[in-house]
Amino acid sequence: MPIFDTHMIFAIMGIAFVGGIIGLDRTAAGQFMLSEPIVAAPLTGWLLGDPIAGIIVGAVLELIWVLDMPIGAFVPADATISAVSATAIAALGSAGNAPLPAIGFSVLLTAAMVPVTMRADGIVRHWNSRLADAVMTGPGPGAGRRLARAHLSGLPVFFMKSFVLYLVFLPLGLAAVSAFNHLPENVHRAMSLFVKFLPLVGVALVARKLSMKTVDLFFLSGFMIAAMTGQLFHAPALIIILLSVTGGWLGARYRERRS
Amino acid sequence: MQSIGFAYAIEPALRKLYPDPAEYESRIRLHLEYFNTQPFFASYILGAVIRMEEDRAMGRNAGDDVPGLKAALMAPLGALGDSFFWGALKPLAAVVAVALLMTGSWWGPLAFLVFYNTWHVGLRVGMLFWGYQSGGDAVALMTRHSLMKTAKRFKLITLTVLGGIIGMVPGWSPEFQPMVSGSFLLMALFWLAVTTALVAIFRRGGSPIQLMLGLAAFCLALAYAGVIE
Repeated sequence: MPIFDTHMIFAIMGIAFVGGIIGLDRTAAGQFMLSEPIVAAPLTGWLLGDPIAGIIVGAVLELIWVLDMPIGAFVPADATISAVSATAIAALGSAGNAPLPAIGFSVLLTAAMVPVTMRADGIVRHWNSRLADAVMTGPGPGAGRRLARAHLSGLPVFFMKSFVLYLVFLPLGLAAVSAFNHLPENVHRAMSLFVKFLPLVGVALVARKLSMKTVDLFFLSGFMIAAMTGQLFHAPALIIILLSVTGGWLGARYRERRS
Repeated sequence: MQSIGFAYAIEPALRKLYPDPAEYESRIRLHLEYFNTQPFFASYILGAVIRMEEDRAMGRNAGDDVPGLKAALMAPLGALGDSFFWGALKPLAAVVAVALLMTGSWWGPLAFLVFYNTWHVGLRVGMLFWGYQSGGDAVALMTRHSLMKTAKRFKLITLTVLGGIIGMVPGWSPEFQPMVSGSFLLMALFWLAVTTALVAIFRRGGSPIQLMLGLAAFCLALAYAGVIE
């Protein structure tokens, strides 16, 4: 069966378009966090008929990239392109019901995408920074109109950056998944295990960045609250999460009073 | 960096305040000078600058130093905003949403958007008016709203929920369930030990990409060693 039939080409174009629109939310418009992996990946999975792939990719990439912060001139990784691409590659490469190894491999592919997205972001931002000069040095009156034109021209540029990157990443990723399907069973097992470990890697990454200690008291308290209420009272997950939030808040208040 | 956005946002006020085209143009050019801060806290500076421009246009404070005010506010508010929004609010909202998603609540992403944007939109709009009313008194803003303290609390709550995620391992959805089985408490303790070991390893450094590649290599080694079936 050919990898790129008409249906696949339309699907890639559609995801590139939707991904481009979602990507505007990162910096160009709104910043309502629709572009975060936890939202963008499940949305992509739902659009492609594979919500489970979206949920897995969204949860793990959110934890991994959430503290990669756009501070000062630092350009963080484009987690939106990673999340949408990984979900789309897994879902399209497996006809809508991606097995764990394919999801793991798709997430792994994003490691190669990230440096490219950062470079592309840097180029677009550099181009953007020259817009102010164009307004300043423009001829004659009409600075207001030039300003509006320059400001709004950033939107199609950011959209095109994401759109073009999707058009490159998705076909390459799908070809890679197709090749991956022919690899030995051991590689597939490894990718299954990789996916299962990723949430722990995400949790450990966030914990490392939020706390100076390897074994943090608040982290341990959350663990104890969840394990005990789950074990002793068989409490539903929502109650356990609420108890963890309350426990953390009370602990923070206690620490404030003590200091 | 954000000078075009700032100038675009203040342009309607300048058009109203300065009917003389030459002065209007010169004020726009003034606001195109370098500006960079946390994007949501920019609305506080915007409010304060509009107030100053208003005073200037009315002839009340012709000598006010608008660029000076922007320069004085953008660095401290940038640091405060980065710490609050990127370092505390977003991780908390994300970690709670991940916990919900991993335990089968499909509406986790929706909860993330609602929680984050209630703060985000509320503060973004509020900042504009506080900036205007206070005329850019950032110290009053920090004293009144104690955002640093709130950020610290959010970080500690995030850590607690992270621990909660590991404590809930047996309650994770099937797609996240680890490949080992055992009693509830033993499973949770095993994954706590693995996570703690990972934190200890990550303390040695490495980017998320390197860590992902390292983990993939480790999993491949286990598979070829016959440890996993």
